[in-house]
Amino acid sequence: MIDLRLKVDPLPISEPLVVRLCDTAHPSPSENDAHLVRRDAGSREYDIWGFSLTVYVSGSEELDGDLLLILPRQPSAHRLIRANSKHNTLLITEQCDQLCVMCSQPPKKHHADLFDEFAIAAKLAPRDAYIGISGGEPMLHKQRLFEFLADVCASRQDLRFHILTNGQHFEASDLGLMDSIGLDRILWGIPLYASRPDIHDQIVGKAGAFAQLKDSLAMLTRLGASVELRTVVMKQNWNDLPQLANFIINQTPFISVWALMQMERIGYGRMNWDKSFQDTSIDFRHLKSAINLAKAKGIPVSMYNFPLCTVPANYRSMAPSTISDWKRKYLDLCQKCSARSTCGGFFEWYSPSEGFVGLGAL
Amino acid sequence: MTVFPLKFRPDENGTVLFADDAGGYFRSDADFLDRYANDCLSLPDESFLKANGHSFDHRDDLSYAAFAYRWARRLYAPTPLDYLILVPTLRCNLACGYCQVSRVNEGTPGFDWDEETLAAVLRYVDGLTTTRMKIEFQGGEPLLQLDILQRVRSFCRERFQVAEFVVCTNLQTVSAEAWEFLAAPDTFISTSLDADAQTHQRQRTITPEKTAHFASNLRSAIDRFGSDKVSALPTLDIRSLPSPGAVVNSFTSFGFRSIYLRPVNYQGFARKRFAAKDTTAEWNAYHSSFIDFLVEHNWTAELPIEEYYFVHCLRRVLQSRHNGHTDLRNPNILGEGYLVVDYDGTVFPTDEARMVTRIGQFDFGMGNIKTGIDRSKLDPLNAESSNNFHPDCVHCPYQAYCGTDLVDDLSRYGRIDMPKHLTDFCQRHMHIFDKIFEMIYSADVKVQKTVAIWAGLPEFEPALAKVHQ
Repeated sequence: MIDLRLKVDPLPISEPLVVRLCDTAHPSPSENDAHLVRRDAGSREYDIWGFSLTVYVSGSEELDGDLLLILPRQPSAHRLIRANSKHNTLLITEQCDQLCVMCSQPPKKHHADLFDEFAIAAKLAPRDAYIGISGGEPMLHKQRLFEFLADVCASRQDLRFHILTNGQHFEASDLGLMDSIGLDRILWGIPLYASRPDIHDQIVGKAGAFAQLKDSLAMLTRLGASVELRTVVMKQNWNDLPQLANFIINQTPFISVWALMQMERIGYGRMNWDKSFQDTSIDFRHLKSAINLAKAKGIPVSMYNFPLCTVPANYRSMAPSTISDWKRKYLDLCQKCSARSTCGGFFEWYSPSEGFVGLGAL
Repeated sequence: MTVFPLKFRPDENGTVLFADDAGGYFRSDADFLDRYANDCLSLPDESFLKANGHSFDHRDDLSYAAFAYRWARRLYAPTPLDYLILVPTLRCNLACGYCQVSRVNEGTPGFDWDEETLAAVLRYVDGLTTTRMKIEFQGGEPLLQLDILQRVRSFCRERFQVAEFVVCTNLQTVSAEAWEFLAAPDTFISTSLDADAQTHQRQRTITPEKTAHFASNLRSAIDRFGSDKVSALPTLDIRSLPSPGAVVNSFTSFGFRSIYLRPVNYQGFARKRFAAKDTTAEWNAYHSSFIDFLVEHNWTAELPIEEYYFVHCLRRVLQSRHNGHTDLRNPNILGEGYLVVDYDGTVFPTDEARMVTRIGQFDFGMGNIKTGIDRSKLDPLNAESSNNFHPDCVHCPYQAYCGTDLVDDLSRYGRIDMPKHLTDFCQRHMHIFDKIFEMIYSADVKVQKTVAIWAGLPEFEPALAKVHQ
């Protein structure tokens, strides 16, 4: 597991500070650049504006170009953007207005606004970076979020964003701004769990959520937005998956991709594991049906977080490696597996004793 | 609840196929038709229609927006021009009886691009806005003008981010320089292989020596470049159709898995040699038996085979935006996404239009590449290029999958206002779509296997055969 926080010696600052760690001078320097002056086995010392910044990290870890968020008086820094990773996500807020049974990151009440710092970091990100925006529910702070996106997208034409949202907060008045930011700059990742309102609403813990989502999707269709629909496969929606595929081909044909996802055993996902985890390694039927129908109708389908050995051979090409590098692990049985290089493995918090029955090296 | 208009077609078993303007379809029966037509739908009818995208509650709700999206995606919107068919020479070293493309003997002077034409073509290419370009060299036999091919290719490679070239050659005589030209990874070969060796010889090569020469060149091309870089089309004489097995054996022996069956086209000089008129029914029957043969073949064969155009039509039934074939688009706008430049610089909207013009039936010429392209002549045709509101098509359940081919109508009937059901285009496509739905709704596992393969699915999906009772 890659640590997304690094121990630092606290800096004498009163406001949050974003720094870009530079082994050598960056081709387009910024006032946030910290320059490497010393490299020891367990730590690196940087110079920023004449102050010394010490970062504790193992010698092999690559940090050049990384963007750190350092908070006043705190002994650890957040690695906002790792220059050599494809899995960079900015956590906008931990507040949320849904309570999904499988949530991997249960909501919290408190919110700290770090949009200004995120904007600095995004503007200093490596070229062509694809940055995740996540929560909680980022759209609870919609105005600040749109300001951030408009600002960053205008100054960095190469950046794109993948924003996870529950789709409960789109309004007609947002569409003009979304259009001006650029419809191809943002992929909205929106969860849809069932074709039936009662099942969806029960899973997200909010009455009326499905109806609201349908209105949002109608708006996004008319706007021409890029949308990834995300369906976590669970016991609760297992039997509905074929109907959900039928819903998607008929009601949301505009989506860029339909992501069928396996559960992540953390947060509420861990708490509700037994009543929610659907072991798709021993029963793939409804998934198969759903995928076939969507594919036949030209909807791109992708299976996220499915270890390859749990997927029938002729469906494996639809199961890319999706578990973020920093929270991915492999099991002992993976050691002799020939598919390991293309397999996303398991979440760090996966528990074999409560997990897939049908695992085996390929 | 408002139901989007449904069109219907009964079949011989008493079931009725229903389809809407966005291509959504299901099978039901005469009772449902009765309830639908008399506006007395039952509650189960209503919930079925709602669940399957055939109705909406109010304007701009999700069902409405989704239907509008699916409807719009069925339409073909021409892209900026990124495809040119170039005819640098009309000369040819074969004299096939059915020649699709008017041709002259190899030694005849005056049927090649001159320097001025080449310069004008390159000037035109240079002015295009696209970053990806596809050039198809037609003829005559384009390899007789290898120097021009080389100069066009070099220019395009410099000019575009991605450029791809197809040489439509008879592979009869291939010089060492021509082999070298064809070896490039961005250059593809398209040739004719008329069913089996006997047919090929009868229709094209005439002598056994020439037949052997062609076969050996085709073999070399595949051995050297792989079957991905080489494609072959059979042109079949409807008076003497080869057995499906013979065609399949011949094509698989060269490693081809996709066969595009084409009857001798009633156009160009073929018109004078073959009376191919009014043979649509015969062709349809043959085509149908060919598809049945492929179903049997694919049941046990290690590597499946497809009939290219049938698969194209199947995918148009299942999906929108499947507009990769210039012969089947709606609207079929002429003179926009691609053009043909003839041996004398005359510009045509399609290769067929070039042939029709050549025999003096109609003049589809859009000016000359040297002096300027004039699209205005096509305006009256383009105004009729959509089937959406055509009085003969609005009631057809296959309308969303189908298209128009006005050049074909003109060449066959001299007019574009023939009742559609009397045209070859309509009759061939009705047959194809009937066959497709027969297969989608078939309970035969062999048929289902082939449908799945041709639809690009890991397995057949019964939900594709939606039934409402």
